[in-house]
Amino acid sequence: MSEEKTHSIDISAMQRSQQALRIEDETVCLSVKDLHLYYGEKEALKGVDMVIPEKKVTAFIGPSGCGKSTLLRCFNRMNDLVDSCRITGEINLHDSNIYAKGTDVAELRRRVGMVFQKPNPFPKSIYENVAYGLRIQGINKKRVIDETVEWALRSAALWDEVKDRLHESALGMSGGQQQRLVIARTVAVKPEVLLLDEPASALDPISTLKIEELIHELKKDFTIAIVTHNMQQAARVSDYTAFMYMGDLIEFGDTNSLFTNPSKQQTEDYITGRYG
Amino acid sequence: MQEFTTDHISQQFNKELEALRQHFLTMGGVVENQVQDALQALLESNGELAEKVKAQDKIVNELDGLIDDECNRILAIRQPAASDLRMIVSISKAVGELERMGDEAKKVARMALSLIEEGESPRGYVEIDRIGQMVSRMVHDTLDAYARLDIEAAIKVAEKDRRVDQEYEASMRSLVTYMMEDPRSISRVMNVIWVLRSLERIADHARHTCQHLIFMVKGVNVRHVSASDLSNMITKKD
Repeated sequence: MSEEKTHSIDISAMQRSQQALRIEDETVCLSVKDLHLYYGEKEALKGVDMVIPEKKVTAFIGPSGCGKSTLLRCFNRMNDLVDSCRITGEINLHDSNIYAKGTDVAELRRRVGMVFQKPNPFPKSIYENVAYGLRIQGINKKRVIDETVEWALRSAALWDEVKDRLHESALGMSGGQQQRLVIARTVAVKPEVLLLDEPASALDPISTLKIEELIHELKKDFTIAIVTHNMQQAARVSDYTAFMYMGDLIEFGDTNSLFTNPSKQQTEDYITGRYG
Repeated sequence: MQEFTTDHISQQFNKELEALRQHFLTMGGVVENQVQDALQALLESNGELAEKVKAQDKIVNELDGLIDDECNRILAIRQPAASDLRMIVSISKAVGELERMGDEAKKVARMALSLIEEGESPRGYVEIDRIGQMVSRMVHDTLDAYARLDIEAAIKVAEKDRRVDQEYEASMRSLVTYMMEDPRSISRVMNVIWVLRSLERIADHARHTCQHLIFMVKGVNVRHVSASDLSNMITKKD
């Protein structure tokens, strides 16, 4: 009897959940090759090479001014809007270089959506906020829009809270709800990648946990890159973590390994609060 | 222990705690079997069973490493607080106790094997049988208490350890007398003493495990409290 019991214990299955993820096993969504970025004379990114794996969460951590937000904004060419900004190197979304001539930037930004630190809903109804991207794409069928709005709000774990007041102003929602609304608006146009720039830093702890739980759900459908000042948040939500310092990518790897046993001393010092 | 592993906003955290709980109880089950099998192997001169106990040590060691890694990872990544923190710390310590219980069981199994080799008959192991039954029961009750977060059961186990100690000392006295009377029996009696010593240690580890459980549920540190003061101390906290 006891023998049967022992044989049914599958330790390797238990161990699998603890094993480090390996970037080599992932499908590449975005790949960054020797990316340099200059704001005027200042070099803000000094030759970054990395890949963002598909349908995983990749977190960027590092002290202020290390270039993590800058790098995130490169992924949907938000830096194009900065006059003095100059970029060399390439970023490939699947197989096409997004900095190649003739790239449709509006289409790129549909495929690579972004959510910012402060919730920025439009001064419209909840429903219209989510439907906005669809209307811009020329979709007018009410049934399609209704379905997509519901799907997006459900994806953002907001549907149950707002389904009875879809046509009220979005500005009457709490900060945490507004942020989830913005995420719903972003996912409504079915992007491939979600870029989250400090999505929870203006929220209370419980709303923050809700956003984190949402990120965990969203990675089933989307590739997610998140910038956060909160290292613990990066540890909680991400599969892979990149540590940046002064425009260099210092260490990039499986989150569990990086937070329990980083390979670089600089990373160790930063995550243990010794500098940065 | 289930109530410790539900209700967090983060479903992922719930899952991690639940996996940890399951792995801990699985390891407990293996150790419990080891203790019972080692005793049976000794009393029935069953060499095959003794070999099995030795082989199971590998599983226990692997689970020990696995649970350790899980605890480390949860501490690094979730920064658990309050009951969550106590659960991690308690399991992390209790796992060490389980692992050592497994080691003691392995010693008993080894002793069984060497006794079989020497062709000793299992007669005269009355002491081992009696104390062994008490100790197996304690290990069983400890794990049961962990699974159900049953503080009263944990206190009972801790109290029982005192009885094991008394039995152990009494047996020791009679075995020493026996050796003095018949020096030819020394080598056989020594083997009996080693086994009793292991059993007594297993009972100690079971008591410590229960103390870790009390800390987990109540948040009071009862590691250096005598069994008689234990229930007073717990009820005072309520």
